[in-house]
Amino acid sequence: MAQYRTQARIIADVLITAKDNNTEGNGVGVTTLLRKGNMSYARFSKLLSELVGSGLLVELDGDKISKYMISQKGIQFLNAYDAFEDFAQSFGLRL
Amino acid sequence: MTTQPDMGLIENILQFIGVFVSFSIAYVAYRGVRQTESSSLLRLATAFIFLGFGFLIEGVVGLGNFVALPVSTTVVVVGGLLLETTGYFFLAFSHVVDVMISKRLGVALLVFPVITLSGTQLADILSILSFYFVLYGVVETVYSYARTRKPDTLLIAMGLSLIGVGTFFQWLSLLYQYVGVLSLLQIILQEMGLLILFTPVLSFAAGGAKVNGPV
Repeated sequence: MAQYRTQARIIADVLITAKDNNTEGNGVGVTTLLRKGNMSYARFSKLLSELVGSGLLVELDGDKISKYMISQKGIQFLNAYDAFEDFAQSFGLRL
Repeated sequence: MTTQPDMGLIENILQFIGVFVSFSIAYVAYRGVRQTESSSLLRLATAFIFLGFGFLIEGVVGLGNFVALPVSTTVVVVGGLLLETTGYFFLAFSHVVDVMISKRLGVALLVFPVITLSGTQLADILSILSFYFVLYGVVETVYSYARTRKPDTLLIAMGLSLIGVGTFFQWLSLLYQYVGVLSLLQIILQEMGLLILFTPVLSFAAGGAKVNGPV
């Protein structure tokens, strides 16, 4: 059964994808982020702008397409998210 | 009689430890709400704010042995119990919403206590309601442990169980007011349970998560 994802969970999923798939340090393409983000393109575009605007993702200008990399602030968000998720799970709750 | 005031003092100290633990859990949960906008953490924070104020009021009642209170003790006791029961309700409610989102099970247990209530006094009703809310929380936490296998979750289930037994003794202490030890036993069990619930706060503090407010 599909689980309901909160906005924070969606943001965390996108940031984790940007972090884990940036193996060569050149950033991650929109297609990869969209696929792992698991949402419509329109919704994803809006989210991507918000993540870049809030400084959680950094946009890298490539030759043809833009690529994205997780920022230091994004890593801090993921660490905090993990800590709070752990806290909520201790009480038997989902974040 | 020198033992009675001493027992009152011990009860008082334990109540104020409960206040500290409850507000600590509420504080971490509130920080989580600000960071992640999680409704589960919001309900958890609300539950422990109510519990904290409930324990605070009960602590103030205890202080009544040493200082004069402006209102009658009964009013303060019922007020404290009402806050506590509301706190336990939110604790159970967190699980109900969580379960409804994922599996849509478990609401029946919450309906059960309403139809089996037989108490005549408001304090009795609140105590037994608290007991059922905590019991529901224990069941859901154990269920959650079966899903995640996270040791901390099992620890919290144990803590909630102790609080549950404590609330049961609270109800008994209201029925058999001449048995003074029941009240002390209730507070000791509840405090032990609350101290166990403090474990995630310590883990969180040890983790040192850096939080910079909402994203």
